[in-house]
Amino acid sequence: MQKRTFLKFSALAAATVLSLPLMAYAQNATLKIGFVGVTSGPAASWGVSNQRSMETRAAWLNELGGVKIGDKTYNIEIVPFDDQKDPKRAIAGMEKMAQDGVHYVVGPNVDDGAAAVRPVAEQNGIMYFPYAFPKELFTAPASNAILGMVANYQSGPAIYKFLKENKGVKKVAFVAANESDPLSQRESGIAAAEALGLEVVSGNVTYQVDTTDFTPVLLPVIQASPDLLVLSGVSPANAPQLIRSARELGYTGLISTETGQDASVLQEGAGELADGFISVGGASTPELASETMTEFVDRYTKMFGEYNDESNTKVYALEYILETLKANPAAIENVDEFKKTMDTFEAANPFMKGDAKLKYVGMTSFGQKRQVSVPLVVNEYKGGKFETLFVGQVD
Amino acid sequence: MIGKKLLGFIAFLVVVFVLVPLFISATGRWDFFYTLTSVALLSVGAAGVWLTFYIGRINIGQGAYALIGGYVSTILVTQANVSFWLTLPLAGLFCAIISVAIGFPILRLRGVYFAMVTLVLTEVARLTALALPITNGAKGITSIPLPGELSIFGLTIIPAFGTLSNPRFGFYIMAVLLMIITYLVLWRIVNSRLGHLCRSLQQNEELSASIGVNTAYLRVLAYAISSFFGGIAGAMFASIAQSIYPSSFVVADSVNFMLYCFLGGLGYVFGPMLGTLLLYFGWDLLSIAREYQLLIYSGVMILLMLVLPNGVLSLLDKKEGSR
Amino acid sequence: MEQIIANGLYLGAQYALIALGLTLIFSLMNVLNFAHGQMYVFGGFVTYTVVVQLGLPFIVGLFASAIVLAVMGAAIEKFLFAPVVRRSKRDESTMLLAAGIAFFLDAVILLFFGEKQRGVPKIVNGVLNLDMRIIMPYDRILIGVLAILLIVAFIAFMHYSRTGRAMRALAQDKVAAQLMGVNVSRYSMIGFALGAMLAGLVGGLLVTITGVNLGMGGPTSVKAFLMIMIGGAGVISGAIAGGFILGMMESVGLTVLSAYGDITYLVIFASLMVFLAVRPQGLMGKPWG
Repeated sequence: MQKRTFLKFSALAAATVLSLPLMAYAQNATLKIGFVGVTSGPAASWGVSNQRSMETRAAWLNELGGVKIGDKTYNIEIVPFDDQKDPKRAIAGMEKMAQDGVHYVVGPNVDDGAAAVRPVAEQNGIMYFPYAFPKELFTAPASNAILGMVANYQSGPAIYKFLKENKGVKKVAFVAANESDPLSQRESGIAAAEALGLEVVSGNVTYQVDTTDFTPVLLPVIQASPDLLVLSGVSPANAPQLIRSARELGYTGLISTETGQDASVLQEGAGELADGFISVGGASTPELASETMTEFVDRYTKMFGEYNDESNTKVYALEYILETLKANPAAIENVDEFKKTMDTFEAANPFMKGDAKLKYVGMTSFGQKRQVSVPLVVNEYKGGKFETLFVGQVD
Repeated sequence: MIGKKLLGFIAFLVVVFVLVPLFISATGRWDFFYTLTSVALLSVGAAGVWLTFYIGRINIGQGAYALIGGYVSTILVTQANVSFWLTLPLAGLFCAIISVAIGFPILRLRGVYFAMVTLVLTEVARLTALALPITNGAKGITSIPLPGELSIFGLTIIPAFGTLSNPRFGFYIMAVLLMIITYLVLWRIVNSRLGHLCRSLQQNEELSASIGVNTAYLRVLAYAISSFFGGIAGAMFASIAQSIYPSSFVVADSVNFMLYCFLGGLGYVFGPMLGTLLLYFGWDLLSIAREYQLLIYSGVMILLMLVLPNGVLSLLDKKEGSR
Repeated sequence: MEQIIANGLYLGAQYALIALGLTLIFSLMNVLNFAHGQMYVFGGFVTYTVVVQLGLPFIVGLFASAIVLAVMGAAIEKFLFAPVVRRSKRDESTMLLAAGIAFFLDAVILLFFGEKQRGVPKIVNGVLNLDMRIIMPYDRILIGVLAILLIVAFIAFMHYSRTGRAMRALAQDKVAAQLMGVNVSRYSMIGFALGAMLAGLVGGLLVTITGVNLGMGGPTSVKAFLMIMIGGAGVISGAIAGGFILGMMESVGLTVLSAYGDITYLVIFASLMVFLAVRPQGLMGKPWG
């Protein structure tokens, strides 16, 4: 009896798995783009916004009849893999991409995953776009990783400089979660602040990511009375609570971070206490967003019920892959061609007003062009929305 | 009886060394090599956890030893230029020594208390790795070289992995070998005098102490062997990823090691191996279910538990039936 | 100094309430409920949905999450834990089931409520400021007081109601209680439902202050485990003591050790291990719980 139930059940499970619908488009060829990142667990927000912006854009392009690369038209298929923020799984994900013949992968979302997939990507000819900052991933001899956003060691100095010159900031304090990514970001943030001649009054307070009350964490930081409180590598889940605790402790100075945040999360979590919070985002503020960007937000909202502002940055990686392939169709099967094209590639940026360009940058930080040029948009949160504080460029 | 067991063993060897590679090259699913390598290595770690279950302790701290093992091997390879193959047993030994020091006080604890202390141990290991200078803190250690050549008297036993056209296959063979040795050792322990003594601990510690069994020594010994397994599994993983971070093994990994043992069956030596295969491989296969992956995975886990509360291998117990 | 104690008390009250539900379930069934944190998160999301999405008053949201979680807890006990406990050879086997349920709830939460951090707007505005020595927002005080009231109500229930007495008898000696005519399966179910309801209530209370996201479940469970280990597993007063002690430890530890920064939590966790090694049954637990 037991055995039979078990067998029946496994047959049922197998049937369910196999019968899941596979997307198929009859007329066009299919171009598979991979995503390896975290879409479950505590950091799900990062990967989910990533995967969803790729799926939204892909569905949109397919609806328009596909993407013409060379003399063939392709439908875009996104192949996702949830690595559960575990570097061992990330390797498995990259192996699966290699297996599926995918040459362009977005992700992983964190440092350890990005470092772990490097051998697989290089052996199998895969270009990947991690959202992780370690420089050795992007400097030679590494050559297959392309930074998908602005690194904090690039945005941090720009923000601190702006605040020093315009808001008279002199004393800075840093807080970070005791995990790899935030701690590395805190270290480079402190270095950048000191290089600008700012005084770092508190730079070693850490918190566990599962903290439910930040008052004890922030108490010693606030007592050091900084003018600027930097939340290094803060996750969207922790940001509102940190802001709220700092304000409730009577802190009146500025608060900033170098990671992307979501306006509605700040609104719900901290309300008006979050006013004036400075963060880095993509191009969805009304001053900058083009019609394409607005339509993207609409389609995303329609497909998934609610937009996530973190996608402002994450919309770019797929666009870069497709535009670069258009510029050099031979790169579809051969990433060396892709690497060659990267040095000279330039195309119009569809998501921003004006004549912004898509191009690869990173010479200053990495000595080779291994970073997408995303506008460095520094936002200020006000009354439930982000307003553009200033726009910078990374070279 | 012995002949039957030997036959089973040979069949198993044929499957893992001949049939699986043949199947992979026939179907072209090269990615299975890595997945199966992971399964083999994780089941080495799970074997250790199973051994602590065997003395009646719930061990949710194997992730700590995997992390320590990974770091020991990595640091020896990158800073002292020791051959990876030598660091593998060294990593295990280091973990065993640490586990004696830690295990001596905490093995007096039982039941959930022991479980919780080991759970905290995993977090302590991660935070220590973040804080120490030798581990390079938050930045981890990256660009670890692939394992080099292993030769004795000029005779190459294992070629340098960098020269292999397919290092994945090399890792697969090594991991499976490691797994086979581990389970042979485990099987030997369980069927020896030591195993009988361990079983007596599981059933009634006071009673076995009263008839002259040195329970404290036995517990520490079992725990040290268990940690040795965890250490070598971690060392091998660091070498495959060519990088290690404080977050390479976390609480979730410790919990998973324990779950592998439960799913396979606590009463069966080969339980953890089967449990690892089902849970780890199952997750990978389910990735086509996209956003429903975790839902189906956990649903299957719950159902399996309802149908077979004593582990999958309890299917083999024909006589006993349901209690 | 006053501030540190106030922080510790507030943290302790919320921790104790989380630990209570866990310890109740453990004392009745010897089940370490890995899914406790997920139940707490689920409660938070229910309250969020009722208050923010449907626009109903906060108290309705709180009741909704208590009811939803109580029903969920009862169902989980009746259809999942009870059959497994009956048929498994070793008690620990329920851990796999509990972990499976934790994963399952994680998946359900992601599908139902999404990946984002959620929060209910503050229910009371303003901050209490006693000439800069104690700074405590009013909503925190309110939640802290509510948490303590709930703890008191729970203790009173366990002491004076028929159901509570039956459950205590069960926790002390299952066989004896059964012989005295206590219906084990019925009270196990009620106990599980009550434990889950407590988790839901804390989730509902805290969503106004710390918000909620799907990742909080696992770490919350681990924290709750720590608390009941400090106090002694399966003992109600122990869970309360454990909650307050952990709250105080964090509050004091973070202030005293802030100069050493990165190692604060290392010290906290390491001293916990040492404490448990010295006193294996926690503060007031039965030895070898």
